[in-house]
Amino acid sequence: MRSVIALAGAILFFALIGPFLAPYDPTAINIPKRLSAPSAEFLLGTDALGRDILSRLLHGARWSLGLAFLISLIGLVVGTVAGLLAALGGKLADWVVMRTTDTFLAFPDLVAAVVIAGLMGAGTWSLIFALSVTGWMRYARVARGIGLSLQSRGYVVQARLAGMSPWSVARWHFLPSLLPSLTVVWTGVFARAILGISALGFLGFGVHPPLPEWGTMLLDARIHMRSTPLQMIWPGLTVVISVLAINLAGDALRDALADKGTAR
Amino acid sequence: MIATVLGLLLRAVVVLAGTAFITFALLWNAPGDPAQAIAMARFDSFLTEDILDQVRQEAGLDTDFWSAFGAWLGPLLMLDLGNSAVTGRPVWPDLSTAIGYSFPLALAGLVIGLAMSLPLAILATRRPGGLLDRFAVAVASLGAAIPAYWLGLLLILLFAVHLGWLPAMGARTPAHAILPALTLGLGVAASLTRIIRSGILEARSQPFLPAIKRRGVADRAIGRDHVAPHAAIPVVTVFGLELAFLLEGVVMVEVIFGRPGLGTFLVGAIEARDFPHVQAIVVLTALLFVTVNLLIDLIYRVLDPRIGERNA
Repeated sequence: MRSVIALAGAILFFALIGPFLAPYDPTAINIPKRLSAPSAEFLLGTDALGRDILSRLLHGARWSLGLAFLISLIGLVVGTVAGLLAALGGKLADWVVMRTTDTFLAFPDLVAAVVIAGLMGAGTWSLIFALSVTGWMRYARVARGIGLSLQSRGYVVQARLAGMSPWSVARWHFLPSLLPSLTVVWTGVFARAILGISALGFLGFGVHPPLPEWGTMLLDARIHMRSTPLQMIWPGLTVVISVLAINLAGDALRDALADKGTAR
Repeated sequence: MIATVLGLLLRAVVVLAGTAFITFALLWNAPGDPAQAIAMARFDSFLTEDILDQVRQEAGLDTDFWSAFGAWLGPLLMLDLGNSAVTGRPVWPDLSTAIGYSFPLALAGLVIGLAMSLPLAILATRRPGGLLDRFAVAVASLGAAIPAYWLGLLLILLFAVHLGWLPAMGARTPAHAILPALTLGLGVAASLTRIIRSGILEARSQPFLPAIKRRGVADRAIGRDHVAPHAAIPVVTVFGLELAFLLEGVVMVEVIFGRPGLGTFLVGAIEARDFPHVQAIVVLTALLFVTVNLLIDLIYRVLDPRIGERNA
């Protein structure tokens, strides 16, 4: 649990403070210094337009991490509501919600995101939309599963008999029990969103250039692979470290929850 | 059993219809003039309003949403995918050529992934918590965090640029397929290692195993008859996910390595707003996944008869 809090803090820190730590303007073009190697002046070197890579990575944190955070939260809200609706809303609602979930799951989410973002045109909004549309189903499944298992619990039955509305049951009895599992799902969706954003950026369907985003940086760096291979290493490494950290935190959280479950 | 199969089939049809409808609605309502995009892809030059009108008429864009959807759906029910809005050629031959490039690549990726993950997971679980086990877990975690496009670029950097052993771009010779297949395979290996490993560990912890062992059954026989079938269940479960991973990987890998195939086909079709092409690939993908999930559901019920009862 501590690791997750530390992680959330670190990510928030970089997404908020990162841009202020940057030594240069991430979009400042400096042609004489283009494609320079790492030095005391440019710690990670410069790209093809002479922009400082370290500054771009730090500013990019706001796009890559911040957008992924936003997308994972949208998914959390939409998915939880859909899942609870399925669990509490009766047979018809369950059928409709679960078949919708199936429809969205019947498709590899990155391919779906490419189709959606590609058709809506490159840009931040279509990126957010494309990855949110493909990122809520896991929450819905977990919320519905736990919701259904809670339905027959004594205290839920009691609350219902006492005249509590389904809405209040969901708010006061379901949400607290859902939160731990949903947090685990959230780490997974967050990590996938980071990968998705950079993948779309890499395919040219992402955030508009010249905004710094890690996948777009990778796309730019690709052409100069022969002359300055390091330029390609940095953004990729940043993505890997972020995703790895989030996944590990998710694993730790899941293990902690499993231990708690057996100890009870 | 027949009722279950029929129920699953009905579900599959609903899902397929839903996917086709959503994609069509998305294509129809996407911003920008699709006729413009199609005409650009077709003529690549100066466009007059006459040409755009003609394109609109030919691509069936001059009607309302429902008749356009019907005009596409009708022939599809007779297994006719229609003609490309850009080239005017039938969709299926071009699509099958693309599949001909992508399928072997995906298969090679899967085989490489299995060939690496199965031995690693089996050896790792001999001593859980041992050095090899920790190595396997580390590799799996790292592999899950490395995006395919970066891994592909790193492999190009090492084997094509630095060492010069393998070609990087295109698909002219079989050697051109090595790096793409390896990129895919490494990703598959990482996720499979994790799943097979935990599958084996869970299967080993079944409560009746010590009893069987004390009865004098050989370790090898226990592994074959009690651990392996149990460990197979999660592996079958994630096969659908694995397939999704492979397809996503193929899209990325083809773009990175400049190979023809489904990924290039899809990206090209989206950019040109080629309705029939996009629809064809989306419906085909959905069909593939619905079929695989249907099979998984059925295999599941055979492997673990309890699952059918729980759902009922």
